[in-house]
Amino acid sequence: MRSKGKLFSSLAVLALAALPALADGVVGAAAPAFTLKGLDGKSHSLADFKGKVVVLEWINPNCPVSNRHAREKTMTELVKQHGEVVWLGINSTSPGSGDFMKPAEHLAYNQKYGITYPVLYDESGQVGHAYGARTTPHMFIVAPDGKLAYNGAIDDDPPGRKAMNARLNYVGHGLDAEKGGKSPDPASTKPYGCSVKYQ
Amino acid sequence: MTAPKIVLLPLAALLLVLFLVMPSPARGAAGEWSTNPQSRVRLISPWQVAPRNGELMLGLHFLLSPGWHVYWKNSGDAGFPPSATFQPAEVLGAPEILWPTPRRFQLPGDLVAFGYEDEVVYPVRAEIKPGIALPATPAQTSDAASSDPAPPAGILHDVLHDVLHITADLDYLVCQVDCIPFRYTLTLDQPLGDAPEGDPATATLVQTWVDRLPRIAREIPGVRTGAVLDASRQGGPDLEIRVLGVQAQAGKTDLFLEPHETFDAGRPRMRAVADGLVFHVPVRAREAGKPLPEKTSIAWTISNLTAKDGKPFNLEARREVPVWTQGGAAPDPMREPAAGGAADRFPRQLLRAFLGGALMNLAPTVLALLIAAVFSLRLPGTGSRAGLRGTGLRENAAAAVTGVVGGCWAIAGLALLGRRAGVAADWPSLLQEPAVGALLAIAAALLALNLWGLLELPLPSVGATRAGTGRHLLAGLSTVPLALAWPVPLLQEPIGAAFAHGPAAVCAVFAMVGFGLALPYLLLTLVPGLAGRLPVPGAWLPRLREGLGFLAGGSTLWLLYALSRRVSPEGLAWIELALLGMSLLAWLRSREGARPAARFVFVLGLAACAAGALWLADHDRLTPRRLAPRPATVQQPMTSNTIQGG
Repeated sequence: MRSKGKLFSSLAVLALAALPALADGVVGAAAPAFTLKGLDGKSHSLADFKGKVVVLEWINPNCPVSNRHAREKTMTELVKQHGEVVWLGINSTSPGSGDFMKPAEHLAYNQKYGITYPVLYDESGQVGHAYGARTTPHMFIVAPDGKLAYNGAIDDDPPGRKAMNARLNYVGHGLDAEKGGKSPDPASTKPYGCSVKYQ
Repeated sequence: MTAPKIVLLPLAALLLVLFLVMPSPARGAAGEWSTNPQSRVRLISPWQVAPRNGELMLGLHFLLSPGWHVYWKNSGDAGFPPSATFQPAEVLGAPEILWPTPRRFQLPGDLVAFGYEDEVVYPVRAEIKPGIALPATPAQTSDAASSDPAPPAGILHDVLHDVLHITADLDYLVCQVDCIPFRYTLTLDQPLGDAPEGDPATATLVQTWVDRLPRIAREIPGVRTGAVLDASRQGGPDLEIRVLGVQAQAGKTDLFLEPHETFDAGRPRMRAVADGLVFHVPVRAREAGKPLPEKTSIAWTISNLTAKDGKPFNLEARREVPVWTQGGAAPDPMREPAAGGAADRFPRQLLRAFLGGALMNLAPTVLALLIAAVFSLRLPGTGSRAGLRGTGLRENAAAAVTGVVGGCWAIAGLALLGRRAGVAADWPSLLQEPAVGALLAIAAALLALNLWGLLELPLPSVGATRAGTGRHLLAGLSTVPLALAWPVPLLQEPIGAAFAHGPAAVCAVFAMVGFGLALPYLLLTLVPGLAGRLPVPGAWLPRLREGLGFLAGGSTLWLLYALSRRVSPEGLAWIELALLGMSLLAWLRSREGARPAARFVFVLGLAACAAGALWLADHDRLTPRRLAPRPATVQQPMTSNTIQGG
């Protein structure tokens, strides 16, 4: 039964990936299910976290914009502030891309920047396409009911020129709203950063 | 003593070499390059010596290594557009980065980016505010007092040392497949002077990229564009954008949408129709279950179009686009109200034109002429009651109406001819032209002289012995140029819509403006009895006219003040002297006993003064020419001893 379920979810992901890019990542729709292997060697499924708020961060250590947020601790500080949420990094970089980072190297990078949350490999890019992830970073909030509650940028400062406390952190605001039983506002913004290095 | 000499000589030589190879501070037309393996960027200006105030079109000049690109205002699926803050903000305000028409880049994973490769100049529109003291430049501070490196900002410098130290704090992302962000502070020391001097190389470069800015669709004769978003389609919402009066360039024409807060857009599909092109773009609401608006603001740029006359151009439009959710056939995209005059909205535009025209009667010069002219309508028979009931008043008022409407049509004709010649300037832009401003000041001054009794114009006047409708016709005609100095915001939409619609609509709208402007005369034509309610002219009337002369004189001063931002102070002084000369000649001519020959000479002198004022306004301009199809940002040096920055 378990393998059937897995097959079904994989097929669902494939079906979603086959649709035009515009059918993906709609706020208010069910967040696409996925099961991906993490740097820790374990499999992680979105279904495992039902009833919790889940943040998905598309990550690429070799993307200078993603890397800047690691250096500035944008994500790790938010993780500390919101212990109630599940934070997952997803790396959809194709193994054929120069940006691809092997697990050992990625683990060293995570240690260097204090990234303690699981980072999952999506080498085929199927999950990235299912969500319509376009940039690193590209952020999603999945509400406890399994629906997408936010899709967009981490903050309002693409060049990173403003002081940290002067930036409008959309994900931070969204998580505060979720904590208070409300929906994130804005629920969608334009993400910025490097393109996801798909196949 | 020899030992120190041995040490000093190589030291001096080294210092000399260092002095020669050290980069000199960026001065004039181009700043220093900031360089990295992927790109080079600098700040450029079309001016070696820029005007002291008015528009200053700078440029962010990028050279990109092969395969790398920087972004348009909508970067596409990834990236972000460059951003910059410019200093000194107290002089430049908040300069605006302008966005040349981009191209599309295909990225792995079916992602797209919009931007520029190889080379791009982002034009930057700044406005040097008048009357601001320039802060000291670093060069000046070190020259002035090395022991005191921080003199107070805002000190006024000698005119020979007016250099504006411009800095741009720039952030940009340059991408191939990988992306690298860069941050630089670009600098440019821009000398300012009364004799602007262009730099041929950088001016050509800036102009090349200004020419690649998309043109506003409404300003392109014979071209119309509109859109409708059909959200009722089963296959998903579809944005249909239509552009008529154009042809596509094979393999080059493309559509780019600006980011939208409600919808994401997919890849556009284009097809040719009888008179233009139709684009279909799949769109998707970003949030499910959220009610869609009835209308939404959408902006698009279409690249590489060909007009009917064969000229290539890029187009830009922003429209309130109807969102169709009711099923059945979606409305025609060209019926969108803001698209330039849908048939059912046209009567409303005509009404706005009429009201706008009527409002122009409140402009000081128009009001002065109107009050003076209305009392003279009673001719023949000054002040006689018979004049009120006779046909004279009605004929004179009708002549004035004809004059006003005719004047409006003449302006419409000139505007249509100008557009056909490729000079698409709107009314407020025309008023920015120094010569136009000077012409309006001369017209107001002539009216003031006439009202003061110093200059006889072929206009109706109290006590005139000659009867006839000709003078009233001319009074009506004269009202139009006097009214032009005071643009009424209410008129901009109907006039814009009329030009988008065609010559017949232009004639109709300008006729309505004319009827509005001639409203007082129109009322007197229809109801001559109204004149009976006016006070009977008496000895007070000449005094009223003289008083109204001060209203016209005040308008002249206001127009000269407006001109002070567009011509050099010396130029303005000469123009004022020319106006004073006109007044003197008018006074000499009006003296009793002046011989006819002398009077003729005085009139010639007066005309020469007026022509001189116009020439001075154009010669001493501080602002780039706006009327020419290719603005002359390069001006040749006007004097041999060009002012150099210190």
